[in-house]
Amino acid sequence: MALARYLGRKVAWTLVVLVVALVLNFLLPRLIPGNPVDAIVGQVAAGGGTGGEQLQQVHEHFMQEFGLDKPMWQQFLVYVGNVLQGDFGTSFGQYPASVNTLIGQALPWSIAIQLPAIIVGWVLGNLLGALAAFKGGWFDRGAFVGSLFFSSVPPFALAIILLFLVAVQLGALPVGGAYSFGLSPELSLTFFGDAITYFWLPFWSLVLVFIGGQAVGMRSMAIYELGSDYVNYNRGLGVRDGMTVRYIFRNAMLPQITGLALSIAALISGGLITELVFSYPGLGTLLFTAIGQNDYPVIQAITLLITLAVLIANFAVDILTGFIDPRIRAAQSGER
Amino acid sequence: MSLRGLTPRFWVSATLVAFVVLVGLVGPFIVSAAPDDTVGGLYDRPQCCGTLLLGTDNEGQSVIANLAYGTRTSLIIGLLAGAFATVIGLLVGLVGGYRGGWIDDVLTAITNVGLAIPGIVVIILVSVSLPRRNLYTLALVIGLTAWFWVARAVRAQASSIRTREHIDVARLSGAGFWSILGRDVLPYLLSYVVMAGVLQVSGAILYESTLSLLGLGPGNATSLGTMLYWAIAWGSVRTGAWWAFVPPTLMLTLIVFGLLLLQSSLNEVFNPRLRRGRAARKKADKEGEVTEEPAAVVAEPEPVGATGMLETPTTGREHR
Amino acid sequence: MGTLVDARNIRGVYYTGAKDVVAVNDVSVKIEEGQVLGLAGESGSGKTTLGSIIALIARPPLHVEQGTLEIDGKVQELGGDAKVPRTWRGAVVSMLPQGAMNSISPTKRIRHLVYDVVRSHDRKVSKDEALDRARQRITTLGLPARVLDAYPHQLSGGMKQRTVTIISTLLNPRLLVADEPTSALDVTSQKILIEMLLEMLEKKIISGVIFVTHDLPVLRTVANKIAVMYQGRVVEMGPTEMMVDSPKHPYTQALMSSVLAPEPKYSKIRIEGMSSFDRSLFDAPAVIHR
Repeated sequence: MALARYLGRKVAWTLVVLVVALVLNFLLPRLIPGNPVDAIVGQVAAGGGTGGEQLQQVHEHFMQEFGLDKPMWQQFLVYVGNVLQGDFGTSFGQYPASVNTLIGQALPWSIAIQLPAIIVGWVLGNLLGALAAFKGGWFDRGAFVGSLFFSSVPPFALAIILLFLVAVQLGALPVGGAYSFGLSPELSLTFFGDAITYFWLPFWSLVLVFIGGQAVGMRSMAIYELGSDYVNYNRGLGVRDGMTVRYIFRNAMLPQITGLALSIAALISGGLITELVFSYPGLGTLLFTAIGQNDYPVIQAITLLITLAVLIANFAVDILTGFIDPRIRAAQSGER
Repeated sequence: MSLRGLTPRFWVSATLVAFVVLVGLVGPFIVSAAPDDTVGGLYDRPQCCGTLLLGTDNEGQSVIANLAYGTRTSLIIGLLAGAFATVIGLLVGLVGGYRGGWIDDVLTAITNVGLAIPGIVVIILVSVSLPRRNLYTLALVIGLTAWFWVARAVRAQASSIRTREHIDVARLSGAGFWSILGRDVLPYLLSYVVMAGVLQVSGAILYESTLSLLGLGPGNATSLGTMLYWAIAWGSVRTGAWWAFVPPTLMLTLIVFGLLLLQSSLNEVFNPRLRRGRAARKKADKEGEVTEEPAAVVAEPEPVGATGMLETPTTGREHR
Repeated sequence: MGTLVDARNIRGVYYTGAKDVVAVNDVSVKIEEGQVLGLAGESGSGKTTLGSIIALIARPPLHVEQGTLEIDGKVQELGGDAKVPRTWRGAVVSMLPQGAMNSISPTKRIRHLVYDVVRSHDRKVSKDEALDRARQRITTLGLPARVLDAYPHQLSGGMKQRTVTIISTLLNPRLLVADEPTSALDVTSQKILIEMLLEMLEKKIISGVIFVTHDLPVLRTVANKIAVMYQGRVVEMGPTEMMVDSPKHPYTQALMSSVLAPEPKYSKIRIEGMSSFDRSLFDAPAVIHR
């Protein structure tokens, strides 16, 4: 029952934040002076290839979509309504492509890199940290300094260095893109085999940084736990080391999981920039292009997606922590 | 805190930071070209010595000049934004933690929402909406989005300090609200504020470079991030023109890593208990350290390195 | 009643970076069957260190340079590189740690600890059997059985201390070393804990107790014999009444006279203090009563 109440509070809180995020997402771009539609049309016109009549159509289309003739709060409702239906509007820069299509194309690539990177990085990083704490000595020192370095390096810096060293100098892996020229995405083995070579460098740039961060944290946690009273007591009762290690892990894990939630935002943004470096056709490159074109619908959609991803990740982590640490459920629901 | 209490880690990090600061401070005076001067062709190779020491970039401008001025710009933005964020976080945390009541509730709610929304999102949205982007507006925006975790940590500490006796003494002797905050509460927080400040600066520099890489950098100045932006946009990585992107990457890595290491070493200095005394586990522990009780335990900001992007508050040890 | 425990010539040294600190300097104590030995002294006297050495949990930076422990006729070398068998801990000698608050991992229920303790000593015991045994012990000693299903934070301080006491003695160790067990408790809980210890002795769950404390009045109610330590050495040891009423060693006299007692016969006696390290006290020969 304590768990249910805990979860309920978390859901309510997440919804509140979501609303604030929506408002921000809606409001900020609209603070630009001037009529955005004119600006857009100006841009589309500047892009060339569209004549007067088509410009009229574009103008009308966007006027309708944004409802600029209506008061602000109505526009907001229109926006929210659209978002809830999953309609993110039409792209400015790549008119008449819909934002949904663009994102739909880019999203899978981003997820393909980031999700495995987060999982692999978290597992390997924690293992490394725990091992370093247990073994001590040179292994520990080397692992610690190495992890500290990798965790402090800006992710794109590592990406750039890897790209230069491995792809350009060594020529071992491709320099950019997601798959070889001439191939088109499909679920076949040949495509997969090809795409994987493009996958490695961006993947490893993200994973190495994350491993570093996790290892450093886990190592401190494990060291801290190793000196704690219950470890001492277990030893004093003759409990086998292997059994005690499980207690240590469980307790050291907690801040690591919480830390995961906190780093999700940074991981995602780091991932997007890394995509940029490798010209990987994910959300990062899309965002980059969109910014260059002042393509607000795309930008807004991506920022909203990022916010959603972070909120969901935080929520998932909160649930997990609630399961693992009984004190949190108790504290939250007012027990004791 | 004597000089002998300073660990090797401190000196290493201090050296790194000092080096980069030196480049930013003195570099522009030493370099004979301005960053916008055309001194050569597209991606000329480096030659000794002088303005072509690091070759030219995509506009035929001197890389080393851009590096010097770029470092200065990045440092200025980092310092301004970092200081700004630290001060706001400090104020909000102090007032909320010490005052309590509805003010605290409101400030805490704002802080929590601010923490939940990814900073990068807000920064992108605001930057995109700005009519003009320069050095100072960028610093302002970064500072405004990064203060939340500092506020949370300061608030926790302030509300615990509030219960201490010397505060009652101050109140009874008629000291005003701000006077108490400044003279009786703040000194206990100073070491934390210093560490948080260092983290904020490093985070701000990272934010700036991320924004610049996305094309949202300062419009009128060169920064390390904008150098990288152009380097990538003009494919210098692919063509192997390493002098265009390695120097700014290196500089960024040095300063961010240096600052993070500095914060970690300051942490060890302020919290000797955290020093890893491996005496407990070494076989030959003649060189073991004695872990002594520190006089006052300082809360530590938990950096999660660059991956943390300064979204991290201090929940690492709160469960203990 | 025979000798239960014979600890001989124990020397324990802390290796620190600066210099080595001799915490326990050639100490020998004996405990009879069914007896409670009180180990008293000020902070830094070495009593906790001695307790941890006898409880077989000494670890770096504490080094046992020398010492022998004989329990029930079984001899165990403690000094130098001697390996203490893991199974002695908890089953032959057990510890009752100070501050039971943190002695149980906060994220697992009490019964997990019970499983682990029992099964670390006998793999063949099933979880249910271990649980039954614990449940029996718990109810016999007056605690509710639901304690087993609880998390540590759900129990009060006194409950936790008693639960830990039961877990420490689950395997019926011969000797229990209790390190300041009552220091963190209120007076009522202290009384209850002491009664539990005495009950265990009576029921032969344990056969001897070393009670380390700085709290002299408590020792008066629970100990048969008191050993007073000062700067790593036992300066006086003897039956409780004798130690309290007519101490012979100057340090013991100073120690006993520093205790506030409300009984009328003590109201005329002044409280004397002493300086931090008194060479004369240190050099005065030890007085050991059999």
